[in-house]
Amino acid sequence: MFEKVVDVKPVNARSRAIRGQVRRHFEDRSRARGFLVAFEGPDGSGKTTQRKLFKTWLEAGGHDVVTTKWNSSDLIKPIIKSRKTLRALSPEEFSLLHAADFRCRMDQVVLPALWAGKVVIADRFLFTGLARDVARGLEFDRVLKLYQPLVWPDLVLYFSVSAATSKKRVSAMRLPNFYEAGQDVTEIDDPVESYQRFITRVIQEYESLADIFQFTTVDAEQAIGDQHRQIRALFGEAQRRPWSRWNVDAFAEWIAQGWTG
Amino acid sequence: MRVKRGRLIAVDGIDGAALLESARDALAGISRPLRGGVSRWDASGVFQELAMADGEAGILSPRTLLLLYAADLAFRLRWEIRPAIDEGRTIVAAPYVDTAVAFGRAVGLPSAWLANLFRFAPTPADRCLTDAAAARAGCDRDSFVGVMCAGWADRAGVTREHVIHEMVRHLRADQKRRRRGTRPGSRRSPTARRG
Repeated sequence: MFEKVVDVKPVNARSRAIRGQVRRHFEDRSRARGFLVAFEGPDGSGKTTQRKLFKTWLEAGGHDVVTTKWNSSDLIKPIIKSRKTLRALSPEEFSLLHAADFRCRMDQVVLPALWAGKVVIADRFLFTGLARDVARGLEFDRVLKLYQPLVWPDLVLYFSVSAATSKKRVSAMRLPNFYEAGQDVTEIDDPVESYQRFITRVIQEYESLADIFQFTTVDAEQAIGDQHRQIRALFGEAQRRPWSRWNVDAFAEWIAQGWTG
Repeated sequence: MRVKRGRLIAVDGIDGAALLESARDALAGISRPLRGGVSRWDASGVFQELAMADGEAGILSPRTLLLLYAADLAFRLRWEIRPAIDEGRTIVAAPYVDTAVAFGRAVGLPSAWLANLFRFAPTPADRCLTDAAAARAGCDRDSFVGVMCAGWADRAGVTREHVIHEMVRHLRADQKRRRRGTRPGSRRSPTARRG
């Protein structure tokens, strides 16, 4: 599946040289290897709690850790926020603006940190965009290609909960907001009822993605400590694997645009 | 009574003043009640908001800028272009898709990614390419190329002149290809292939 969506572009001498530079960087065992862990799952699945525990544990172990959250770039987040407040986004605009925010964070936060050998924890990754956009009626293939060149995480942890649990946990603290509840597509006035309907669709999409991209599923209904121990063990196993060769294109484009300074 | 559907005319090119002039020319031949106006880029205000952002918030790559351009185009289609067409009027989009695609190709982005990015945009009933020579003069910081090259081009060692040169080349090549009836990437026309 992944092979089918890797960007293909003409290779000239300069881009060949840059790709060679990226491959040598990936194979160099003398420097720390960048490591990307994506935390995915519906709202209320406990991702943030686990992300914080994992970060504390990594830092205690001497790792240099960078966290990036969904829709958090300094440049594009305010643009999205103002339009969400006005409820002015169509599914297409919603999708494109979130893809732009993601690309911005890839260029400014994720790729520089990985290149420098840091551990990057992504509290939601492109799969969030895919699950939500497809649940809003957009085509899977089109949305996935918006995120090219793809960066393949070393570990994707999918925090699995039922729609009922997600609804219970989210609505216990607050009312879901308009887009979180999918009210732009469900056309249901009650945000909690709309959330239940929308998150059911999102979870269906997540479960398809988990199969296609072989996520590691964490049962988010089990005890917090048990989940944390499982994540530590998974990280230990994944750390022994080399860089994914699928990531060469993304790093090569990033270097070609002068981001490494 | 059924309203006859209107038309979308795409005017593409690099020089902002030339684009507007061509857009007005395109509308001039249409009777006044059927004119739907000119849809210009950044109707959604995305790029204006970016221009006001804190300089320390960083710079955007060509891919990110094109994703934003596409989001703006989706906005224009929803609020300006489709409503005019549904009311039976003719609307001119200046620029539309070709200018953005030419920019993407000029900076080395894959054609397949660009085609996918703008897949939601309907094919215009008519297309017009503004005089490419005018582009050489009109490329200030607020122009399409000026905004799209801000920041990253200096860092990557790419000059605005190079981007303009490449955009003109791609726009002209696409225009020739369309006249011949071939698709990008194919070497022979459908007629030649049949023969």
